[in-house]
Amino acid sequence: MSDLDRAIAQLRACRPIPEPQVRELCYKARELLIEEGNVVGVDAPVTVRIHTIPALRLALMNGLQICGDIHGQFHDLMELFRVGGDVPETNYLFMGDFVDRGFYSLESFLLLLCLKVRYPDRITLIRGNHESRQITTVYGFYDECLRKYGSANVWRYCCEVFDYLALGALVMGASNTLGTSTSTSTNESGTQLTEEEEIEIEILNSAGDVMSRIPRSMAASSDNHETVNSSPLSETSRGAPARSGPVGTGATSDSLGSVGNPGGAVLCVHGGLSPLVETVDKIRLLDRKQEVPHEGPMCDLLWSDPDEIEGWGLSPRGAGFLFGADIVKLFNHRNNLSLIARAHQLVMEGFKEMFDASIVTVWSAPNYCYRCGNVAAILELTEDGSNGGYIPRANGDVNRTGDLLGPVAAGGQISGPGRRYRVFEAAPQDSRGMPAKKPVADYFL
Amino acid sequence: MPASRPEIKAPRPRLPLLNPSNNHTFIQPTKRINDGQDIANFLTSEAYHDIVTFLMQLNASMFPTVIPTPEGEKNHIQTWEAGTNAVVFSNTVLKLKVLLEDLEGIIAEAPPDQGPRRFGNISFRKWYQIVESRLPELLKRNLPAQVRSFHQDGQDETSPVIELESYLLGAFGSAQRLDYGTGHELSFLAFLGGIWKLNGFATTDPGVEERGIVLGVFVPYLSLVRRLIKTYSLEPAGSHGVWGLDDHSFIPYILGSAQLSPPITKLEELPSEGSLPGAPDPAAVVKALIVERERHRNLYFDAIGFIYDVKKGPFWEHSPILYDISGVPGGWAKINKGMIKMYNAEVLSKFPVVQHFPFGSLFQWQQDPHAMPPPVSAHISSQPARASPSSAQAGYASAREPVQEGTRAPWAQPTSMGRPPMAATAAPWSRHPDRTGLGTGSTHNRGIARDVDAQAQSSGDIVGTRAPWAK
Ligand SMILES: [Mn+2]
Repeated sequence: MSDLDRAIAQLRACRPIPEPQVRELCYKARELLIEEGNVVGVDAPVTVRIHTIPALRLALMNGLQICGDIHGQFHDLMELFRVGGDVPETNYLFMGDFVDRGFYSLESFLLLLCLKVRYPDRITLIRGNHESRQITTVYGFYDECLRKYGSANVWRYCCEVFDYLALGALVMGASNTLGTSTSTSTNESGTQLTEEEEIEIEILNSAGDVMSRIPRSMAASSDNHETVNSSPLSETSRGAPARSGPVGTGATSDSLGSVGNPGGAVLCVHGGLSPLVETVDKIRLLDRKQEVPHEGPMCDLLWSDPDEIEGWGLSPRGAGFLFGADIVKLFNHRNNLSLIARAHQLVMEGFKEMFDASIVTVWSAPNYCYRCGNVAAILELTEDGSNGGYIPRANGDVNRTGDLLGPVAAGGQISGPGRRYRVFEAAPQDSRGMPAKKPVADYFL
Repeated sequence: MPASRPEIKAPRPRLPLLNPSNNHTFIQPTKRINDGQDIANFLTSEAYHDIVTFLMQLNASMFPTVIPTPEGEKNHIQTWEAGTNAVVFSNTVLKLKVLLEDLEGIIAEAPPDQGPRRFGNISFRKWYQIVESRLPELLKRNLPAQVRSFHQDGQDETSPVIELESYLLGAFGSAQRLDYGTGHELSFLAFLGGIWKLNGFATTDPGVEERGIVLGVFVPYLSLVRRLIKTYSLEPAGSHGVWGLDDHSFIPYILGSAQLSPPITKLEELPSEGSLPGAPDPAAVVKALIVERERHRNLYFDAIGFIYDVKKGPFWEHSPILYDISGVPGGWAKINKGMIKMYNAEVLSKFPVVQHFPFGSLFQWQQDPHAMPPPVSAHISSQPARASPSSAQAGYASAREPVQEGTRAPWAQPTSMGRPPMAATAAPWSRHPDRTGLGTGSTHNRGIARDVDAQAQSSGDIVGTRAPWAK
């Protein structure tokens, strides 16, 4: 077992690793991150391309899991991995705000960083507005490091890593329909096969059960009564050819557009857009290796929020901007994007699509700050199975389940990649033992 | 035994009353704290001095009291629990209680919005608007006549009510941000202090009317605020997440720990250690049953109880600071003393918290001639408020090079607990009683430095982080 694996095991048990080890980890992480561009290219799902070991295939059915804010909620991060699949079997993209506010920012961030160093191609970390010196001195991470290590060294090491985190990611090759959910839909036999319906959105609970499905064209679906199935055809298309060897050659990204994928790529960024950034390429030109500035394109990408306005607006946060549907649609069109995935805002339902599903907010900290009562979600994008990767089905419940679609943008023609949201609640808490009290602040001495 | 206690020379200061036979010019209170550097001025202002005096006055009044009995008999200890009939409410206290009930009643007129929302409920704005529109009438009805008609300068139309109204309106959270925090709590303290200065409260022996103010007005205020927080999901203003004392409140921890401190014979001599015999152990904050039992009579446990009401999860995890404090050796008096120091550093010295506090004639921006000037220190130059463009860079540099002259970042020399070492300089609290009994505000320069550097709390609600440099 390597030191790194040992560190991972220790952190998974929610125990901080010693300071010298943090130092070394942060050094290695920086070496790794410095090689990444400002906008990391990610295939959906990367796993398939890299791992072709048959034994892993089942696990590899999972796509790319895109996650929002974590904010030091370590036990909920463990729940996230349980729901989304473990690393390295499943690929992850975290859209920042790992630290601050929660009790376990340190353990959460260091674990993610260890996983990044150990499995660099399986996990992508991009920067949130909280990955900053100034913000962490106010919102808790600095206090936490002092409390847990007695000095600010670890905080300083972490901040140096923050400066190297990418600003965004571009997910390519995402299918515009969904593969079946491995946990519930495979291995069912004798069910009827239908191919005329494409599922665009699927919402699963933490047990992997489908809560609702939305076909690309909701109108046609109400009369159908087909059940969930996994046909021989789908087995082949999903399991073997599409996902083994050939795909590993990079065909996934080649397939972008060439098979008439209306989707385009998915841009992932913590906050949102900037009036100073018209193209994704412009992000690539920024000098990101610095503390997050108070203004300018880099700041905006980490701080902005979509809002029901036209054009640009002042942000009540005092940093970044508000931007409306017109801005998003123009940006997506200009950059051949099908979707922008971002985090940064609490949404009670865990995710929220806006502006005809041109942008989605993903929030991954359930019962935020122990009190908000929200559920969390992660967004799964799957590989483009352009030759019939998914077996659509309409189960007759479409209209009814439509009621569950609060967070999904209403409106007829939805486009974009197939999106599977896994919704989960806060991890159970009873098993956590009470720690010893720490010496209090000077005030009480 | 009590007779042998040393006599203390100076009586505990009470907030001075304005002389009603003198003319007084009232002014519409205005914001004066515009950036971090103004905090130093605030800490040496008349307003700061008055606020602290009034708070210390309320605090001292809540210490249990030894009632002398005839020779040979055991002394009686009188505690000041919520609901005790040993505290008689004056007319003013009763009227303010009614005022708070009226404000609470308005919640029924602004039921929480049922539509989709992020977190804070926009119907709070409606509640706030109704309050705003009715406040003049409510104050007219519930403020004592001598306050409303306090002697004014002939030519000026501004009435004392205008000043009080602005503090009261600022006491229930931000309608814009849908949040509530210690800055709003401070505003209510000023509202009460203003009435005090205007001779609005009953003239009593020291401590008597103060106890009525705490139990008859402040306690109902807290319960109204908590109802607002729950009804409209008001966010914590300035949330450190789990790393703050409490999401919303501070003063109940001061007054509540006073309630459980050792009994005193004189307000002048507050013990700095020990507990009331039979008081619940501070460690009981993790025991739900004890919290439930104590919350109805004690402000500290009441505040803890509210945390249990709104938060789900292990107490030590969502409230680690309170958890650690529950292990402080030295009893409730020690906790009381610490809370006061902490309030001074983490509330009164924080730009984000006090920046909205308006200054008028009752709480004046003018410098207190007796205040000691805050020492010139490195923190002034490291404030990002004015150095915006370069501050990020400066922070970056100094984080790598901790001992840079002049531009020292607040984290360059952290204390072991990451708290400003304000008390390290010599704790003037209670040992060297100054005019306020809380300290001059000049010894916590580094505390200010850190806060000022980190202004994010201005409305750093939990739902949306605010930029520290935002005004
Ligand atoms: Mn954020």
